[in-house]
Amino acid sequence: MRKTFDEQLMQLNREMITMGSLCEKVIAMAAKSLLEGDKELAAKVVHSDSEIDQKEREIEAMCLKLLLQQQPVARDLRIVSSALKMITDMERIGDQSADIAEIVTVADLSASDDTMHIGNMARAAIKMVTGAVDAFVSRDVRAAVEVIKYDDVVDDLFNKVKHELLESLHTSTEQAEYALDLLMIAKYFERIGDHATNIAEWVVFSITGRHDEEGAE
Amino acid sequence: MTKRIFRSIFLVALVILLAGTVLIMSVLYGYFNQLQHKQLKIETDLVTHAVENEGADYLEQLDVRGYRITWIDEDGTVLYDTDANASKMENHLDREEVQEAITYGYGESEHYSATLLTRMIYTAERLEDDSIICVSTVQYSLVSFLLMMLQPAAVMLLASCLLSALLASRLSKKIVEPLNNLNLDDPLSNETYEEVAPLLGRIERQHRQIVDQLAELQQKQHEFDVVTGAMSEGLALLGASGQILSINQSAARLLGTDQNAVGRDILTVNRSQEIQDVLFRARSGQHAQSTLPDGESEYQLVASPVLSDGEVSGIVLLIFDITEKSHAEQLRREFTANVSHELKTPLHSISGCAEIIKNGIVREADLPQFIDQIYNEAQRLITLVEDIIRLSRLDEGGGDEAKEPVDLLTIARDVVDRLKPYAAQQGIQLRCGGESAEISGVPRLLSDILYNLCDNGIKYNNRGGSVTVTVSRQEHEAVVQVQDTGIGIATEHQNRVFERFYRVDKSHSKEIGGTGLGLSIVKHAAMIHNATIELDSTLGKGTTITVRFPTN
Repeated sequence: MRKTFDEQLMQLNREMITMGSLCEKVIAMAAKSLLEGDKELAAKVVHSDSEIDQKEREIEAMCLKLLLQQQPVARDLRIVSSALKMITDMERIGDQSADIAEIVTVADLSASDDTMHIGNMARAAIKMVTGAVDAFVSRDVRAAVEVIKYDDVVDDLFNKVKHELLESLHTSTEQAEYALDLLMIAKYFERIGDHATNIAEWVVFSITGRHDEEGAE
Repeated sequence: MTKRIFRSIFLVALVILLAGTVLIMSVLYGYFNQLQHKQLKIETDLVTHAVENEGADYLEQLDVRGYRITWIDEDGTVLYDTDANASKMENHLDREEVQEAITYGYGESEHYSATLLTRMIYTAERLEDDSIICVSTVQYSLVSFLLMMLQPAAVMLLASCLLSALLASRLSKKIVEPLNNLNLDDPLSNETYEEVAPLLGRIERQHRQIVDQLAELQQKQHEFDVVTGAMSEGLALLGASGQILSINQSAARLLGTDQNAVGRDILTVNRSQEIQDVLFRARSGQHAQSTLPDGESEYQLVASPVLSDGEVSGIVLLIFDITEKSHAEQLRREFTANVSHELKTPLHSISGCAEIIKNGIVREADLPQFIDQIYNEAQRLITLVEDIIRLSRLDEGGGDEAKEPVDLLTIARDVVDRLKPYAAQQGIQLRCGGESAEISGVPRLLSDILYNLCDNGIKYNNRGGSVTVTVSRQEHEAVVQVQDTGIGIATEHQNRVFERFYRVDKSHSKEIGGTGLGLSIVKHAAMIHNATIELDSTLGKGTTITVRFPTN
């Protein structure tokens, strides 16, 4: 009984890693399509997002089955329940990456001359997602706390991008649409950072059993 | 064990108890019976004598306990009874003991009571006046005797039970203790029951077997590690679900992990889609290949399923570093593109001129100019093709040309002589000096090296400049140095000038001529002679190229 349970937990772990790596792929693709203006790549992101959705449902079903059949307790219960919460955040990361890609396909962002800050944001968000998945894979509380701290960097970058766009709107309103699109994208990256933070917090919870707010600061 | 021993001891105790009881009872009961009969007889005698002497008065004053005395007449009528009223009692004549007493003077009989618990013993004796004295007493029967024994027997049983348990536990502890203290690492050194000796012998044999097998396994594992560790390709053996069973150094390096990864899931080491894809396909029983880009490097993944009984029981994952290969492939593609381009340019020129002449729109006076152009371009084409052929021959290892002793100075002089007219034409002074240095080499290739170096020195020079070739001999090497006072090569280009078709100044290449293959040929020809090339150049001042040939 315990053996099958352990196997099921391992299977869950594998699926979680797979889903995490899908998230990493999708956000990297979205960022690349944005920075290189590659619309074809952006179209592929939408397809990958549906893969993530599919994975979320699979893992969800797996978790429910585990809860029903094995009735896990203590640490096992934490692993399963935090997995259930994490996949929601992962799925949101996929959705937001798809949203970014969609803006890239629809809007004309070729006018963008300074993508420096938005590029930095994209890299920071990717770093957070990778860090969160890494923390999950290696069950590393410290790495998870690093990710949670790094959210401030992304938030700062978002404010920078916002001010930059605001200034450009003050000088001329010609690029208003472009500015709005970029603001949306920046907001999406900022949200992705928040979701990565959530994942990292769940990693901490699944290991320590506590929502260690102090540890995150 | 304790339980079994307890059972045996208890059984033995029980059997002995039971047998003892039966034996003692039967003996005792018989003895008591006899005793009682004897006593009763004495009692009866005493009463009889007393009655004969004193008559009924004696009976009246007699204090009897445990006995019942009846005095009956010779016709059976009860004259006196110690327990009941004599007048109300029936005739006793037909009683067995009375009859016996009448006949023999003394009689005995016994009767069980209705409950079987007691037994009455009767005795009768005839007096001299023919009346009869009967004495009876109650005797406990065997059954009641047994019933009386019940309580002490139960106590005994309990006691034997407790004792058995105590003994059993102590005994089993004592038996097991030396067994528990056996030194199983060295079974034969133990001093214990001789009954266990065969077991210890067997343990010893198996012990040795295990040690041998373990050593063999370790040896094999070591061999495997040495073989796979020396591989430059990464090799990882995975279980069916993807956990790492074995990973060699190269694989660990390529995947960015170490030997600690053994036992973990491969996904925790590298979760890239490419690996997941090949593993997924391998798990479904297919042979799968893929390339894994990782920053600057590029790896090729090959996953093969390990089948046993038609089921995938594991996966062999091979990882090749194909960074250089793909880089070389890219170079080759570039080379092909460059070659086509370089070949096309003069051909276009030739074809264009020829077309104009063919259409007859060239004036007679301009004709030589066009013909010159065609001739020059054709010459350039020939040089280019020759260079390419030379280079591809060098690529294949320098052809089959045998090495022979050659004097570098002779070759240098020869080359300088050949290039003198061209140098003069360009206004360059071409000098050659030094000492003779003999090496083993291919004269044609060595001549190519010097020709190309001098040619470049003249080509990329300023009018009035000079090119100096110096041959010198050092301890283990022969050195050829070509020094010019030309335009020099900027630092950022110095690494790349040996690449094929690489031109520092692309816009003027046509005026200067040359194919862009010269230094490439030098590099390859030098490689065939195991020679090293040093480039020392300052922009605007000149370039010195030193080629060092090992002499032995």
